[in-house]
Amino acid sequence: MPEEKQEKVFSLPKKGQRNRCKTGIDTLDAILNGGIPRGNTVLITGSCGTGKTTTSLEFLVHGALYGENCLFLSVTEASEKLLANLIPYEFFDDSLLKRGKLMFIDMPAIYERLGLQKSEFSFEEIDLLVDALGDIVKELKIKRLVIDSVTSVCFQLKTEEKIRDFILKLGKKLSDLGCTSLLVSEILPSDARYSTYGVEEAIADGIILMGNYERRGDLLRTLQVVKMRGTTHSRAKYVLDLTPIGVLLVPMLKGGGE
Amino acid sequence: MGATEQIFESLKELPEGSVIALEANSEAYFDVIRVITEKIPKHKNLDVIYINSTLPANSIINVMELLDIKRDNIYFVDCGSSVLLTQQASNGHIIFVESATMLENIMLKVEYLMRKMDKKKGKLIFIDSINSLAIHNSLSILSEFMHILFNNMRSKGAYTVVLSIKEQSSDEMSKALTMVCDEKIDVKEEW
Repeated sequence: MPEEKQEKVFSLPKKGQRNRCKTGIDTLDAILNGGIPRGNTVLITGSCGTGKTTTSLEFLVHGALYGENCLFLSVTEASEKLLANLIPYEFFDDSLLKRGKLMFIDMPAIYERLGLQKSEFSFEEIDLLVDALGDIVKELKIKRLVIDSVTSVCFQLKTEEKIRDFILKLGKKLSDLGCTSLLVSEILPSDARYSTYGVEEAIADGIILMGNYERRGDLLRTLQVVKMRGTTHSRAKYVLDLTPIGVLLVPMLKGGGE
Repeated sequence: MGATEQIFESLKELPEGSVIALEANSEAYFDVIRVITEKIPKHKNLDVIYINSTLPANSIINVMELLDIKRDNIYFVDCGSSVLLTQQASNGHIIFVESATMLENIMLKVEYLMRKMDKKKGKLIFIDSINSLAIHNSLSILSEFMHILFNNMRSKGAYTVVLSIKEQSSDEMSKALTMVCDEKIDVKEEW
């Protein structure tokens, strides 16, 4: 076969390819064929200690280093405490905070400002919250957003209908604004699904599953892209390490199916 | 020709990205250490990532001190200290891996060092030894580990040398090494 023709067969279609939001985590970007399709709302889900928050923060820090405005919405933990426990990344630059490229807002402060003090939000209050988040993203020109955790927000929505309503509307709004978002979802190690309420996973554009995998007494941190709209991607399981130079990933060994 | 010269002569002209299985008797162990950690790095201006599972890194460092080998360019991925059951603190030149069964973590630590080390210098990855890793891992998972690690290192132009001690090896291990290595060097007692 002539060389030219062979190249045509294997080259990717140029048309219809979506812009990518590079996570800055090399292997994850390779898994995703260049990064998360821009504007996607992605559920990053896993049980405690699997590295969800750290990975999400790294996504934001890289975004800020690329010159994008990035926002971390902390629902359960005060931002100050979060920053104090942050891995001392070698690539982290304090000026990102000072210059407003990387911002942290505590979600309870937004609730308070909106007067959302009840234990269960109504549909009107969900609209209010989605509009407020959209306004923040628009005003601050946010291109990357992390909500940690969406499970805690959903806790105040209670019903499947409200959760569906919230995530659909929020996802649409963020996508329209060209904002790529990671929604951190907490699940139990024993959970067979990817989100606490089972609704979030169906609506999200992507699911990155993080886990603890026990093999012969060793506990390995794992990452697997289960779903990602707008791109082809690997669905294999990877082992990860959280290091001062960021998240590192290698393929999980299968050992001939042992 | 002594074992040191023999090993050095076999390795000194290898092209970048070569993956070599070094099959030697245990008597030649110190000769191997001298060539891999001193002579070849000096000859080719290399930094060394030393994956040790036979002995703890500190024991190897003691051996190197006895052999008067400088260690500035040597970084250990230490899977040999986990058997000591004492708390180990990683430092700039030693990174501990909790267990020799955590092969992915070995790959991750190698990757970490590759990114941290001087980009201008070449790299040599040395596994000491495949037989001691085989105590803790089945041959199938070990073969998969070698296949992924070696190809990754090859793609980065790093040299990889894996030591196999003849008395501790098996036909199956030898076949597995043939499959994943470019060349096997048999260190003979008499050259």
